[in-house]
Amino acid sequence: MIVQELREKNIKTNTEPGLLKKWVLITIALGFLGLFILVPLIAVFSEGLNKGIELYFASLTERDALSAIKLTLLTAAITIPVNTIFGVLAAWGITKFNFRGKNILITLIDIPFAVSPVIAGLVFVLMFGSQGVLGPFLEANEIKIIFAVPGIILATIFVTFPFVVRELLPIMEEQGTEEEQAAITLGASGWQMFFRVTLPNIKWGLLYGVILCNARAMGEFGAVSVVSGHIRGLTNTIPLHVEILYNEYNFTAAFAAASLLALLAILTLILKSLVEWKTRKH
Amino acid sequence: MANKKKRHRVLPGFGLSIGYTLIYLSLMVLIPIAFLFLKASTISLAEFWETVTDERVVASYKLTIYTSFIAALINAVFGTLIAWVLVRYDFYGKRIIDALVDLPFALPTAVAGIALTTIYAPNGWIGKYFEAMGIKVAYTPLGIMVALTFIGLPFVVRSVQPVLHDLDRQYEEAASTLGASGSQIFVKIILPAIFPAILTGFALAFARALGEYGSVVFISGNMPMKTEIVPLLIITKLEQFNYAGAAAIAVVMLVFSFVLLFLINFWQWKTTKKYQMN
Amino acid sequence: MGITIKDVSKAFGNFPAVKEVNLEIPTGDFVALLGPSGSGKTTLLRLIAGLEGLDSGGIFFNDKDYTYKTIKERNVGFVFQNYALFKHMTIFENVAFGLKVRPRKTRPSKKEIAEKVNELLKLVQLEQLANRYPSQLSGGQRQRIALARALAVEPEVLLLDEPFGALDAKVRQELRHWLREIHQRLNITTIFVTHDQEEALEMADTVVVMNQGKIEQIGSPEEVYQKPANAFVYSFLGRVNEFRDYEGSDAISYIRPHEIALRKFSQGNSILSEVSHIHIIGSTVRIELRRQDTGVLFESEMSIEQYHNLGPVKRGDILFAEFKNIVVFDSISENKKTHEAKMGIRNTLKSKLI
Repeated sequence: MIVQELREKNIKTNTEPGLLKKWVLITIALGFLGLFILVPLIAVFSEGLNKGIELYFASLTERDALSAIKLTLLTAAITIPVNTIFGVLAAWGITKFNFRGKNILITLIDIPFAVSPVIAGLVFVLMFGSQGVLGPFLEANEIKIIFAVPGIILATIFVTFPFVVRELLPIMEEQGTEEEQAAITLGASGWQMFFRVTLPNIKWGLLYGVILCNARAMGEFGAVSVVSGHIRGLTNTIPLHVEILYNEYNFTAAFAAASLLALLAILTLILKSLVEWKTRKH
Repeated sequence: MANKKKRHRVLPGFGLSIGYTLIYLSLMVLIPIAFLFLKASTISLAEFWETVTDERVVASYKLTIYTSFIAALINAVFGTLIAWVLVRYDFYGKRIIDALVDLPFALPTAVAGIALTTIYAPNGWIGKYFEAMGIKVAYTPLGIMVALTFIGLPFVVRSVQPVLHDLDRQYEEAASTLGASGSQIFVKIILPAIFPAILTGFALAFARALGEYGSVVFISGNMPMKTEIVPLLIITKLEQFNYAGAAAIAVVMLVFSFVLLFLINFWQWKTTKKYQMN
Repeated sequence: MGITIKDVSKAFGNFPAVKEVNLEIPTGDFVALLGPSGSGKTTLLRLIAGLEGLDSGGIFFNDKDYTYKTIKERNVGFVFQNYALFKHMTIFENVAFGLKVRPRKTRPSKKEIAEKVNELLKLVQLEQLANRYPSQLSGGQRQRIALARALAVEPEVLLLDEPFGALDAKVRQELRHWLREIHQRLNITTIFVTHDQEEALEMADTVVVMNQGKIEQIGSPEEVYQKPANAFVYSFLGRVNEFRDYEGSDAISYIRPHEIALRKFSQGNSILSEVSHIHIIGSTVRIELRRQDTGVLFESEMSIEQYHNLGPVKRGDILFAEFKNIVVFDSISENKKTHEAKMGIRNTLKSKLI
């Protein structure tokens, strides 16, 4: 098989016109990717560092920046476990059992992907905002959700809702139920079966979903922007912090904060490639 | 005998998993969205109609659809080309390029927005060359397209790539033994096979672009009637405390997105069915 | 453990997989559930294990009602068709699984578990592979590990779903003898599912022939082969020639290829037939012939010695065929089944036979 593939590639690419075509296409592809992806990525770091490394670190350790970083970490720390537990349970129910309305359920779970982030924020303002349905009740009890941290977390959970379950569905579907059935016939309890057989089999897919969920949770802008109220030091996540600095023409500080998120994105891509490589090996 | 009626399930956890899923889904997604429709219904039908057909709103629909469509089209062409290059050719650094394709998924939209704006501004790295040619990119519909092309890029690549990878080379070999030329093989053999994937990727990129906010809001300039996208208009209404108006526009957008989502799912279901029959 | 199955039915949607089946399996029996695909044999096995819930009827273990007992309570060992070994565990861990998941009170100590696992690995002759992973094993080795794992929990019933289905012919032959030996040594009630009649006849003490969700016949291998209850059993258990008495007749006569003797000279009641093909398959020879009187094709089978004794034969030669043991079943419904499940050659006889 491999020999044949190599031979095919030789035939296809080692002839003169084939070689020319290959490099023309590669050049176009790389040019496009460079223009749209690599240049913006470089720009983030370049703009952040262009007034020197000291100002760069000063922008990151300033009080508002630190509180934005803290809030972003807090949001991710709540969103990820909540959506992971949901993702595992939903994927278990959907892939291991047959029931009516399964396809409808999958479509409903996909809804947050189809909803604009702005609308995702809006729905929570309409529910919990001062003019919202539950607004008067919340105000009477002095509970603040909108323009406060709970709203940010709710909006983030909404936009990252399908990530984990979507990664798990195809993997668990493919694995079938035989290993779990074997565990049960050998006397395992439900939890023993889950932790000893199911979880080890889905761990890489689960990690993959968590990585994607984390990237989106830390970087979400539109939905969070609607519910946050942009209160400095209180309800700003890193992306919102970036926006405020940028709109104040404090470009260096804005890009310094943005470079943190860009580093997160690069880390995400590296982890993602590692997980993909790991699963291919298995 | 009550046992008899109860469906026998070998594996445990059906009630727990589906029960939890339904409750969580309802609380986090379905009920909030229901409130959106509820809010939009607090105004009269005439008022609703007036809000969603206001001149400025209609201009934003047109702009959003038009720029999203062009961006998705650009991605359909270049995304297919990139997928082709990644599947069919070997070159140094291919693995890194492959990973970079996903950057728009991983990079927060606000970061992409300010980076693209800086680059494509009249005095930016790339923008200055366009400026010299008399073309403005940032703060025009063209800039919106740039941002939407960025965020939609992975969709087409990632839906075409696996199909192209699994495409059996035998068909191409058969065609070439029958005397077809390279371009004939591409148009008559390869393109029909990958076209459903291109269309799926196009639709996904288009749907994503319609709702995009973070990357666009910086580069668009946000001029009413000219460079104001629908999500921005919703935020504007919110800032004016016109909650019902915001909800009304959101409902129109949401229905449009749902129809699109439904069409994509239907299309995918139909093509897989066609494959199964073959 | 003796097993009694009483009026058990199970449908999947509109498809009735098992229809009012009754079966009595004494303790220590070695039973083959034999039938074509879709005959309900695997479903019946899974019903016994509790891996499917039944629609009606009852399942009794030693006359105790086990119909609604959980899988765990049934204490059966189940060997899955594709083995279902835990991919992420070593062979040792796979075999030890059933002991390790026991509640603390009844769980053996680490040392006892290790002893038990090693003993089982010795039984299946794979003690040297304890630290390997399933992906590093051959199909036959995986099959043996799957059995060792099922035996580790000391089940009172051993159930095997197509145990040798995924293996090549040589390994299958070895494993048949090996499983037979293990059964003799441990003497636990064992039920296995197979679609291979040779496997069923060779291994089992009792053969249960199933078709379309029903049991067609229960008996020893000799009984079902020599005294088939109906046309289905007859044709499923070996190659067969089929002759219709006259066109449109419901009565069909059957004869096995090895029960047709060929001679170069007329002797007794014989039919002139022309040789159309000769297949030499190792030690057996199959000759395809065409009846001179009706023009219908049929098949005769003999050992290579008999073939040599017959003298040189080539295509186009005319031989005398003697039909030694014709069987006739005349139930209409049975005949229809036979047509669908046929494995031998199909022939139609236009005029009365002999």
